[in-house]
Amino acid sequence: MIQKKVCMLGSFSVGKTSLVSRFVKSIFSEAYLTSIGVKIDKKVLRANDEDVALVLWDIHGEDVYQKIRMSYLRSMHGYLLVADGTRRQTLEDALALNERVVQEFGKLPSVLVLNKSDLAERWEIDSAGEAKLAEQGWSVVRTSAKTGDAVESAFTQLARAMLAV
Amino acid sequence: MSANSIIESFLAEQGYALFEYLGGGEFVAIGECPSWCDEIWGPEARNGKHVRLAERSAFLENFLVDAEESWRGAGSAGSGNWIESAASGREIPLEAFALSLDGKNILILRNLSSTFAEQQRWFQTARDSLLAHEKLLTEIQKKEILLHCIIHDLSQPLSAMSGCFNLLLLERLPPALKKFARDGLRESQRQESMIRGILSAFSGDLAAQQSAAASDAPAPNLAACAQQALEEFSASAAEKGIHLRLDPRLNPALDWRVVGDAARLDRIFGNLLENALRHSPKGTTVTIGVENDGAFVLAFVDDEGPGLPADQPASGLFALFAKGKSHSGKAGLGLYFCKITVERWGGTIGAETRPVGGSRFWFRLPRAAKSAESPAEEARAKSTTPTPEASRSSKPFKRLRVLVAEDIELNRELVMELLERRGHSASSAHDGIHVLAALEREPFDAVLMDEEMPRMNGLEATRLIRQKEISTGNHIIIIGLTGNSTVEDERRGLEAGMDGFLGKPIQMEKLYATLESLVQGTLSHASGQEAGETQASPQVGEHSGSDSESIAAQLRHTTGHNKKLQQSLIKIFLTDAPKTLAQIRRAVARKDAQKLATAAHALKGSLAIFGASEAVAAAQKLQTMGRAGDLEEARTEFRALEAEFTRIERELRDLRAKPKRAARPKPKNRRKR
Repeated sequence: MIQKKVCMLGSFSVGKTSLVSRFVKSIFSEAYLTSIGVKIDKKVLRANDEDVALVLWDIHGEDVYQKIRMSYLRSMHGYLLVADGTRRQTLEDALALNERVVQEFGKLPSVLVLNKSDLAERWEIDSAGEAKLAEQGWSVVRTSAKTGDAVESAFTQLARAMLAV
Repeated sequence: MSANSIIESFLAEQGYALFEYLGGGEFVAIGECPSWCDEIWGPEARNGKHVRLAERSAFLENFLVDAEESWRGAGSAGSGNWIESAASGREIPLEAFALSLDGKNILILRNLSSTFAEQQRWFQTARDSLLAHEKLLTEIQKKEILLHCIIHDLSQPLSAMSGCFNLLLLERLPPALKKFARDGLRESQRQESMIRGILSAFSGDLAAQQSAAASDAPAPNLAACAQQALEEFSASAAEKGIHLRLDPRLNPALDWRVVGDAARLDRIFGNLLENALRHSPKGTTVTIGVENDGAFVLAFVDDEGPGLPADQPASGLFALFAKGKSHSGKAGLGLYFCKITVERWGGTIGAETRPVGGSRFWFRLPRAAKSAESPAEEARAKSTTPTPEASRSSKPFKRLRVLVAEDIELNRELVMELLERRGHSASSAHDGIHVLAALEREPFDAVLMDEEMPRMNGLEATRLIRQKEISTGNHIIIIGLTGNSTVEDERRGLEAGMDGFLGKPIQMEKLYATLESLVQGTLSHASGQEAGETQASPQVGEHSGSDSESIAAQLRHTTGHNKKLQQSLIKIFLTDAPKTLAQIRRAVARKDAQKLATAAHALKGSLAIFGASEAVAAAQKLQTMGRAGDLEEARTEFRALEAEFTRIERELRDLRAKPKRAARPKPKNRRKR
């Protein structure tokens, strides 16, 4: 079976662990429990009529206390760049992180995930902003780890992009 | 037992596992393996068996690259934390180190379980604090946005209204008409005091924001507030043919006191009622009421309209700038205001489509613990602002030459009229560049400088004037005019070199007092807030009159039935506004955000004079889009603006075509230009 290393990247408290948890175990917890270090999970999904085993590296969120070690990303095939749609700054931070990743590893398949779409009334990224990101070549997906909305789709899009390489 | 084996046992006890790297991905355990190794990798890892750790752990597979590098370079490498899942499902936090000892390549694995929880607590606390800080900043930012939107929306028409009433009171009017003019002036000043109330609600610090719950003010009675809101809106409802009633089940004798303050509760009810009336068809009923809800009191406004939009979550209605598809609302701030206010008091707010049809907008507030009651009328006190007639008796010390720099012609005309009535000479300028040119041409005693003007704003012009004065040694009095009456705006004005500051709407008394005092030199750093101002008590409840009135009625109201002034305003509008609309159209077509913002700002000011609230809201939205550089919805919003504009233009043409008495053309060259 094809196996792909996928990294979850983004600021702290954007929902990376919740997205993995929703995708792998179909569960969600309201309580925010911050991640330290790395946790690796696996999940097989079907993309382009093929079974693909995703090895998901859930890496701690980056902030003033913890920086991401670029060595964690070695040999990755693609990544989900995750931002919290209700905190615009996390999108800026994610894009800055992406620049470092591209500088280190070149352009790799990736999907930009704007998580917490269930919190529509607090959403801070307007559709024009999203359109601009799409113009820049991003596949942008609004997800909700809480409701499960578009979570599978985000991983599937990434899997397809990785298979296309 | 050898010293080595003692150390190995001690390390195992402390949660360490030691492996020697044999090459080719194979490891062998050194000494005793701790039990957690078994949990993760099974018994193969112990008893001198070779084990391929990298094949059993994706993390170690990745770390092996760093480890091998360190072994080659005789240095050391650390992995950082990661979590391995044992077969039992238990998650074990680990950390790995690679180092060379006695020519051997050693991998040390450390179980962090004993310290991990504490480490996580530390990170959790730190990140929770960061999140709380971010939330606070967002909250402050939202308040600032609100503050500026509200001030922009409300200040322009108020400026015109106050000016017109002031002018009227200077005329020799019959006593009955004078009373109307005084009433009009008083109401416009009350409206201004409401803006001040909003200012104080949104520009204070957080402690002030939460003062309602902790203050000594008596707790407001929600049923009394509902009753009062009903009375305020009954005329407006009747005009629309809607039956507005209090819930017949409501027993006013019960205890309906809640956390909050009466002034803002009135505004919340006002917003909900205004919303209900806007969406209710003629002949239907709107019901306002309160109900017991345990430790809370629930207030609601029910209508018999079309219900909530099916394609929009109810929570979205309370978002900033949220408007229904029909775009029949104002700037999209009302419900957002309700939400943040109710939530600040520990309550909740929502909306739903009623099973019997129509919508219910509700909010729930905690019951108050205090015993005293607070009639909402307490918030209302009589204005003590001196009347314009009082100032007629005191003549200015000299005739001043004043340059009025203001980009919105209607406001400019009114200020100039006030100055001329006082006996001063007034000239006009549309922007900062015109101001500089005018000052080159002729001397002035003072400049009334609008802060926000196209091409060159008032602050920039002031800085240039002050720079030039360094060489000439002169000092012209510059008084800033702005719709944003905040301390920060005043500070920026004074820093730029302004001598004083007048907030819009311009009040005649303040204008005369500030201008003349500064020129006379009796006030060194007077501001509009200080010079002769006596502030009215906070006024509650948003006035919604302009929505329901025709343009003709609004114009009569604004001008105090002064037909000459009406015709003058109409003429200016019909000449200039279509050009501004064309500028907006071009800016939208060419996606020129800056021009869009400038033109929409100008048109908004003109439309506001006629109480065209929907068009004003559309222009405001276009201005905001222009400033944000986000023109995605600009075409749609422009179409809404254009449709409203066409309607207004048509009505104004009718008004111009059918005056009962032909308006005399305004004398040309009445003022120096």
